[in-house]
Amino acid sequence: MVDKGLERTIAERDHFEFLLKFLEESPYETSHLLIPLVKANLDHYKDTVRYIEEGKPIIASYFSNAPEIFTAMDIHWYCPVSAAFAGAGANPYLMNDLEGADKLAVSSDICTLLRMAMYYTEAGLLPRPTAIVGMIIPCDGIVALHEASRRSKEWRGIPMFAPDPPYFTDERSIDYFAQELRRMVDFLTEHTGQKLDIGRLREVVEVTNEQYQLWQEINELRRAVPCPFNWGVGGGPFALTQNRWVGDPRGLEWFKAALADSEKLVKAGKGWLENERIRLLWFDVHPTWFFDLAPWLEEEWKAIIVMDMFSYCPYTLVDTSSEETMFHDLAKRNLMDTTMIRQAVGVADNFASDLVRIVKDYKIDCVVWPAHMGHKDGAASVGIMREICRDLGVPFLSIGIDTFDPRYTTPDEVKNTMSQFFTAMGLG
Amino acid sequence: METRIQSKAFQELSQAAETLVNPAIQDWKGQGSKVVGYFCSAMPEEVITAAGLLPFRMRATGSTGTDLSDTYFSSINCSFPRHCFNIALQGGFDFLDGVVCMNSCDNVRRIYDNWKRQLPTTLVHIMSLPRKTGEPQVEWFRDEVANLKQLLEKHFDIEITDERLWYAIKLHNETRRLQRKLYDLRKADNPPITGTEALAVTVAGTAMPKERYNQLLRELLNELSESPGNADYRARLLLMGGILDDPAYVKVIESQGGLVVTDSLCFGSRMLWNDIDEGASDPIAALAQYYVADRPSCPRMFGDYERRIGLVRDMIRDFKVDGVILERLAFCDHWGFEQFTIENDLKDDNVPCLIMDREYIMSGVGQLRTRVQAFLETMGR
Repeated sequence: MVDKGLERTIAERDHFEFLLKFLEESPYETSHLLIPLVKANLDHYKDTVRYIEEGKPIIASYFSNAPEIFTAMDIHWYCPVSAAFAGAGANPYLMNDLEGADKLAVSSDICTLLRMAMYYTEAGLLPRPTAIVGMIIPCDGIVALHEASRRSKEWRGIPMFAPDPPYFTDERSIDYFAQELRRMVDFLTEHTGQKLDIGRLREVVEVTNEQYQLWQEINELRRAVPCPFNWGVGGGPFALTQNRWVGDPRGLEWFKAALADSEKLVKAGKGWLENERIRLLWFDVHPTWFFDLAPWLEEEWKAIIVMDMFSYCPYTLVDTSSEETMFHDLAKRNLMDTTMIRQAVGVADNFASDLVRIVKDYKIDCVVWPAHMGHKDGAASVGIMREICRDLGVPFLSIGIDTFDPRYTTPDEVKNTMSQFFTAMGLG
Repeated sequence: METRIQSKAFQELSQAAETLVNPAIQDWKGQGSKVVGYFCSAMPEEVITAAGLLPFRMRATGSTGTDLSDTYFSSINCSFPRHCFNIALQGGFDFLDGVVCMNSCDNVRRIYDNWKRQLPTTLVHIMSLPRKTGEPQVEWFRDEVANLKQLLEKHFDIEITDERLWYAIKLHNETRRLQRKLYDLRKADNPPITGTEALAVTVAGTAMPKERYNQLLRELLNELSESPGNADYRARLLLMGGILDDPAYVKVIESQGGLVVTDSLCFGSRMLWNDIDEGASDPIAALAQYYVADRPSCPRMFGDYERRIGLVRDMIRDFKVDGVILERLAFCDHWGFEQFTIENDLKDDNVPCLIMDREYIMSGVGQLRTRVQAFLETMGR
């Protein structure tokens, strides 16, 4: 019988191999930052294939489950939605997958990312994991997806654990979530046989701490006018700290290179764009079809995405002095800091204060809320965002897109809407 | 409401379901007593009762539009919070002395944030309900319940003793026991009450003092025990889904000959199926245990599907159900995936199943009627 999960993983691996070759043979301005990201993905897929072929334990999990712990336990993991997240640039099957998701008897008003994840599971396109550490944060859809995939015929019977996130971010909540992470470790040990070595966890966390510090420095430089940061590597920090090369010194090198690039531009008084006109906050994650949009913004409008939801995560550094402090701070990081989690979990004050902070610190000219069709909590916060922007005197645009499906609102429609907005607001 | 039930008790109950501020609430307020609104059936309303306040389950009965709330919510949000918040902005909830929200879902939880910013209600609180049903989660929620108790004590300058909590628990358990008796009557071949009427009765229970409600319910049960019942139906149905507080929706289903004999609804069986442990040593722990772990869960609770489908299967057997209608408010993620799973499981069980998306207020009546009719026909009824 053909293992479709393995087959797909091999195809994805080969795709990244091709991309790497292409980038190496056709270097351009930011190739030195993109190549390590592609290598990180390639390594990941190679490992996944190897683990499957050798019959070693492998888990399905997510970036907000303290991936440092997986690294420290020497557990290989993959994210069930990473192909959907990667978009057309890294997923050659995107349109087929979208059509597959459309055919599922799951309502189309549910987040496309999650419908695709369900499709991957139902169609057997994901490697069958030994165990699953699910994510039931930050939205209803992800909870429902996990409950449904637990019952899917493809995955039924696979042990699943999901740390329970409280709604608040106070000390009581952090302590509670830290206990959930400890229960996650027990679960992983039970189902993979791997144990957590606290010394190894400290080593891993020390690397990610350094990565987060460098990330913070990069973000500081992004405040400069003109902004020295390039949209093309915007998702890099998130990918490296929480998904690939977690706690791996190779990730550090990437951050150092990205920081050096930005520093060089700032010192020279230059920005990524020669004639920056619009400093834009894209207050959500990048759409998978971002490659169509961001270069257009830069070329057509001299608009630069100074900050976005992937990037603005003022991460808490983890105190590595003891096991307790590490679990406490990892809980805090994963409950309060992580991309999308930070902005969607808990009361609106959380994202509202970020919004004010970003607009002020990064000298933002306009705020774009793309209004991804799956972000229901954000959709119910649109009035709050609008009022904040009005108080700050910053134009606000809510578009209405599908971050994962360019058919919902096409890139051309988005460009048209943004052009009208820039013109109406006198920003161009 | 058109009904064959003639009792005054039922008239009072159905009136409470059809209006927001019913006479019982008017009387309560007239006596100078206070009302606290709450969202979600996982709210431990016993604490509000123990505080000498009237718990009122939020709904948007009578709403006709969302003109005002559309500034704060989007068209991709579920219509329940949009209608509720619209009524709030119109002043329709001005009779409330406080509002307690819960992180029930992504749509409803933002009512808290918008309410706090836009309305002058002096007590607006949100509780953190866990996503799982294990012991650590019960322990977490115990603290949440204790916090709510303290908050009410401070805000309303009252003391909520254990004695008062136990009184409230027993009172609400009595409500649940009486409601279950009503459900038991529906197991009969000729149930004396329709699904439309039963929903009106359970909705009314969330909008009037429990003492009065229990008295009315006892009267109704007495009357129904002598009723010949309804024999004029084509199929016995189970209605399952998210927030449904409008008996008129059920009426459309029943107008086609499908008698709703039981349900898995948060205005229905999920709030009455079992009791809070009256033998526990700590009333707050007993409340936490019940609301997190013991009561039937909805899909927002992770890892509890087997218990949910188990209850549905028990009901199908006990109520002699011929088919299941899964209703879902459009844009509800929880029920979107749950429907997918349940439909697959019921298919394995050879139980006919109809999936219906809907808006909070009645719309698309013709379509609903046609689809139910077709469903009954495919069942050979």
